[in-house]
Amino acid sequence: STSSMLSKQKDKSAASKDGSPEGAAKKQEDGAGTPKQQLLDIIGDMKVEVSYRKKLQQLKASESKKQAMAKLEGPDSEGSVPQGVTEDTQRGKPLNPELVKAASAVASSLPRNKKQTESELLAQLRRHEETTDQQKKGGIINIRNVISEMTIKRQSPAQRGTRTSRRISLQLDEDDKRLRRERSSALSMDSRSLKVGKRLNIFTKASTEPEHALETVSSPTIWDLEFAKEVAAVTAQPPRNGFEEMIQWTKEGIMWEFPIDNEVGMEDDAEFHEHIFLEKHLEGFPKEGPIRHFMELVICGLSKNPYLSVKQKVEHIEWFQKYFEEKKELLQEI
Amino acid sequence: MAARRVGAGCWQRALWLGRRCRLPGGRESYRSSSSSTALGKTVDNSQVTQEEIVLPRRKTWDKLAVLQTLASTVNRDPTAAHYMFQDDPFLMPRNAVNSRLYSLSKESGRNAAKYIIKNFPQYFDKTFAEPNIPCLMPEALTPQTEGLSEEALRERIHLRMVKESVDMFDQLLQAGTPVSLETTNSLLDLLCFYGGGEPRPEKEQEEKEGLEEPEVNASEQKAPKKRFQRSSQSSGPKWRENNHAERIFKIMPERNAHSYCTMIRGMVKHEAYSKAYDTYIDLLNERHKADVHTFNALIRAVPYLKDRFTERWELAKDFLTQMAQQKVQPTLLTFNSVLKSLRRCGGVGRTMSLLVLKEMEALDIEPSLASYDHLLSVYYKGVDAPSSDIISEVLNEVEKRSFTAQDPDDASFFTTAMQVCCDLKDINLAYQVNKALEKGDNWKFLDVDRLNIYWSKFFSLLCMMEQIEVVLKWYKEMSSSLFYPTPKNILDLLQALDAANQLEVIPSVWEDVKQLGFGRRQDLLEEFLSLMSRDQHPSEIQLAFAKCAEEIKAVHEPAGQVQVPLEWTGSALGNVVVLFARAGRTQDAWKMMECFQKTNRIPTDKVMDEFLNCAKQTNCPDEAIKMVKLAASLGLLSSQRLKSRTEEEFELSETQKKALESIKWDGDSSDSDSDSDSSDSDRE
Repeated sequence: STSSMLSKQKDKSAASKDGSPEGAAKKQEDGAGTPKQQLLDIIGDMKVEVSYRKKLQQLKASESKKQAMAKLEGPDSEGSVPQGVTEDTQRGKPLNPELVKAASAVASSLPRNKKQTESELLAQLRRHEETTDQQKKGGIINIRNVISEMTIKRQSPAQRGTRTSRRISLQLDEDDKRLRRERSSALSMDSRSLKVGKRLNIFTKASTEPEHALETVSSPTIWDLEFAKEVAAVTAQPPRNGFEEMIQWTKEGIMWEFPIDNEVGMEDDAEFHEHIFLEKHLEGFPKEGPIRHFMELVICGLSKNPYLSVKQKVEHIEWFQKYFEEKKELLQEI
Repeated sequence: MAARRVGAGCWQRALWLGRRCRLPGGRESYRSSSSSTALGKTVDNSQVTQEEIVLPRRKTWDKLAVLQTLASTVNRDPTAAHYMFQDDPFLMPRNAVNSRLYSLSKESGRNAAKYIIKNFPQYFDKTFAEPNIPCLMPEALTPQTEGLSEEALRERIHLRMVKESVDMFDQLLQAGTPVSLETTNSLLDLLCFYGGGEPRPEKEQEEKEGLEEPEVNASEQKAPKKRFQRSSQSSGPKWRENNHAERIFKIMPERNAHSYCTMIRGMVKHEAYSKAYDTYIDLLNERHKADVHTFNALIRAVPYLKDRFTERWELAKDFLTQMAQQKVQPTLLTFNSVLKSLRRCGGVGRTMSLLVLKEMEALDIEPSLASYDHLLSVYYKGVDAPSSDIISEVLNEVEKRSFTAQDPDDASFFTTAMQVCCDLKDINLAYQVNKALEKGDNWKFLDVDRLNIYWSKFFSLLCMMEQIEVVLKWYKEMSSSLFYPTPKNILDLLQALDAANQLEVIPSVWEDVKQLGFGRRQDLLEEFLSLMSRDQHPSEIQLAFAKCAEEIKAVHEPAGQVQVPLEWTGSALGNVVVLFARAGRTQDAWKMMECFQKTNRIPTDKVMDEFLNCAKQTNCPDEAIKMVKLAASLGLLSSQRLKSRTEEEFELSETQKKALESIKWDGDSSDSDSDSDSSDSDRE
């Protein structure tokens, strides 16, 4: 139904285009109508913007004409004006000749003092370009200019009718009333896109990284910790099958990690052979005799002992060595 | 322990073999090469020293890689309930209510166990597991440092003991020891996060709040508890006038930016918006610089600070420009807060939200699901004739990648998207949303409750837009393994069946309805009966319908249980009669007819005609006569017609004919027999 309504709008504008055989039918780009169409639009614009901010009232009439100018330029006349107005990068230079021609066309179509209108229009246009530049360079952000900028710089591929209605809806919402809600809401959905469009132009990209890295040294506060928990809880769903459950357990530390290493959690500096093959520590003992026999049994027992470290075992053997050394004299005597 | 050593021995031997085969060294490497050891060895032996074996570089896998691969091979079983339930037909939840109940009970069991471990740690001090599992052991929650010192205060703050920290702080101040700015700030953090703390007089409430809040917030992680947690946060502790945080803030000898910031954040969190704004003005007056989180909080507070839409947008824009001026870099959360505030700005929101998105793009900030969720709400909530441009573009973006959670509001994206698809009545968009859901980890954004809402909406859309075969296919696959149909879903399904002229499926739907626990819902029962009784069907179907009708009848009768029987409506009663009649169950039909009188309802003509047809077919003229009597007693206009019909179509015996004749049909009095003679004589 939305599309049908949009197409009706198209038909209406097309019909009015055909129906007005007035001269100076400037067909700039698509979307631009005859001067009569522009006149109707301008009147529509003026009706809406009258109730807009009081500060802008002086600019109202001229701004609406400015609007027509902007549209006549075609889809390129977005906020990035340099693209549409090809060579004009600096203001103060002459305006786009097309703009001038269009201004004169409108002036001629209006039932007023033509010359005065034309000069007014052009002056206003120049003023408008200046403010644009100022804004671009990040000058003092004047709310009024910002809003005026907002009205002018719109996406032009939209249909005329929808653009009017968009302003109407802005008016409604500003005053929080529901005057002509059906019409506005029905037509307020024009072909907007996420791709094409303007940005707020408030921020600039962060240029240097090291500065920011230095700033965030402080330890996380309770806010940060709780926020991290909250964010983690968004995607913390119960496991959908046994494997996911095992994944969760592994993360929590409840389950062994695959592939299983059965020496996890055990710090042992020595290899297994150092625990088991302890004969090399028996070099200080006699090669035969009861002492040797005894020590070999000691070594056998130690090699089966999982609870002592290598160092402790070596200490054991050394103690025996010392002991037997001391007792050597006694034994010799015997 | 000895076994472990031997196990290590095997690896060691493999290492030696590996070394011989010129495999890369290192303790871990032999694990992967143990299978290829033999191969390498034989190759090495066959080609003596001719070629160098080029071995591929070893990949390192993390500890979860194997499990994740295995998990990715498992698909959903359409016949089973969710994994978290016991896989037993008796213990499976059959409807949404039970599903929630069971999952919550499982969670509460876990919490009960944790509670016991926390409160009786002396019984859990033996560590049996090697290596020790710290998460199952009791936590050391009692503060170690005793006495009155800043160290002790810091520890209590760390352990999140709100009341004790405040008490200790006050004691320290009374004793004259100065508390450092940092510690005071961390105390403020704690207080502002938990709502400022109650002022002194209401001690008990303060205790409860102090104890309960850390638990409530700690349990935020558990998905099934989400519903409770959401409601408790929305009605969470409000920021009270002159609570502990404010008091301490006032008596601080010096404050830095952090103090102001944390106060602002706490006030916004606990809904003291104008106070937060005032505090922000104070911060500016003191020439401090607010951090990005404070700005985010302030932007979130904007809809509560101003009423008109343009004013709201202006205020938000002010905050943003101040951020830019103070060189505070905005983050994703900043823009998400802006979009969230724009949700309450009507048409202004619609215009501005696109600008915000472009700004994010210009700053190389990827929008998260929350950004798209706010965007969809701005464009589609409360709009009469929406277009599908925005959502198509959003879905094109979303289905490209797998998202990670960055904002707590990410979770509502998919339900919002599906709602928009339903409003737009576009099934292809819905399929696209499903596809986006399947990508990567996106499924994790739907918790158990939202899952049901999402699929329920999808199913309604399906019933509206798709062919019946597709609908039934989805129904069989999804029902009770993925979602539990709501009553609305059942009604939609019935309508779809009706539209596709497949009413014979109705008895099986009725079985499901009974299982789902909707067998006592008046609207569903009415719908079932009216659909079943509308047309004549082949006899098997008719019999099945009659069985359903009988079960529905049982619901309306007192069954000696606790449940109150439902009230009969006229149409329901009539439909049951029709269904019994068409199945040839005359006696049952007659019993229902008697119910009409009992419940003071009037049968329609169609009902009575059907009954007569049934009586004729089953050759029960008595019932026919009884029915005519009933009709006459109820004073129905059609009773004359019925009487004549009975006379014509039935073969009546003499007594029956007489009985028929004696029926009065002008319906003056309720008891027909007493006045019958006089009226008959009048007529004749």
